[in-house]
Amino acid sequence: MSALTVARRPRWLTVVGVLGVVALGFTVWLGLWITPPDRFQGNLARLLYIHPAIATVALYWVGLVAAGGSLLYLWPRTRSFFWDRLAAASVEVGAVFAALTLVTGALWGRPVWGVWWTWDARLTSTALLLLLEIGYLALRRVPAEPAIRARRCAVAALLIAIDIPIVHFSVDWWNTLHQGGTFIDPGFQIHASPSMSWTFLLGFIAFSLIFVWLLGVRYQVEVLQDAVGDQELEVSLSERWSEDTDLVGASASTPAPTTGGAAP
Amino acid sequence: MSYVDAGYAIALATLFVYAVTLVLRRRRWERALQMSEPGVEPEGAPAHGEAS
Repeated sequence: MSALTVARRPRWLTVVGVLGVVALGFTVWLGLWITPPDRFQGNLARLLYIHPAIATVALYWVGLVAAGGSLLYLWPRTRSFFWDRLAAASVEVGAVFAALTLVTGALWGRPVWGVWWTWDARLTSTALLLLLEIGYLALRRVPAEPAIRARRCAVAALLIAIDIPIVHFSVDWWNTLHQGGTFIDPGFQIHASPSMSWTFLLGFIAFSLIFVWLLGVRYQVEVLQDAVGDQELEVSLSERWSEDTDLVGASASTPAPTTGGAAP
Repeated sequence: MSYVDAGYAIALATLFVYAVTLVLRRRRWERALQMSEPGVEPEGAPAHGEAS
């Protein structure tokens, strides 16, 4: 099967993308214009319709795909470049979402906490997540055999995965500025009005759908990139092979120099 | 512009730009693969037997 067939745009991916854009449009409409201002935070609470949803993607969905894909690649029975490419695609998309988590968090923190940034456990561990993801992407660009690169990157993705429970439990393990669960408490009781809760939930669905679409397209790019690399290698090897054959043919057809021949 | 507007604008603009970049990257690699496949001439290249 050619890479073009593998990377063909599947219809389900287009459907996911369209649904994601529609859901995101509704989230923005509800979040900015329909839901009431919060009793304590006023309009600033509107940032909470996007910030936790973006953070959920950056942390849990990316962590699940990157760590799961890497483990499945490292496990000999399930070893396939599919898992390696999927993990690589999720880390790049994850870096974008991690950066957005930090930016939207800072925009909320400035008016509420009074600072853009503080060395709080949740913020620092999230920034570390972004740095680790950038490191992974740099490691992926280091030239190496595909199998060696995949193994290296799988190990790096598992190192990233170690940071994910640290980010999650940071608000419980340390006394931090960042609050714990706001909308939903550990007993799954929702502390918000219905319109706010539905907008919050829609935000999660919208960003999750957008993540799946971005992951799918990024995976296709990875497949095509690898296929072009393989194709170029094949072409250069065949060129080298034909050059060698020509040289052998030419030396065979050239008469061997004779000693003591006539002077020119 | 308020912090809320800035947050929404940055999030949506970043995702839009990244999505467009990905689609363009996919298109570029599709073309590169088609051109690197044996027997496929790049667009605008003279056909076989045609004087250059």
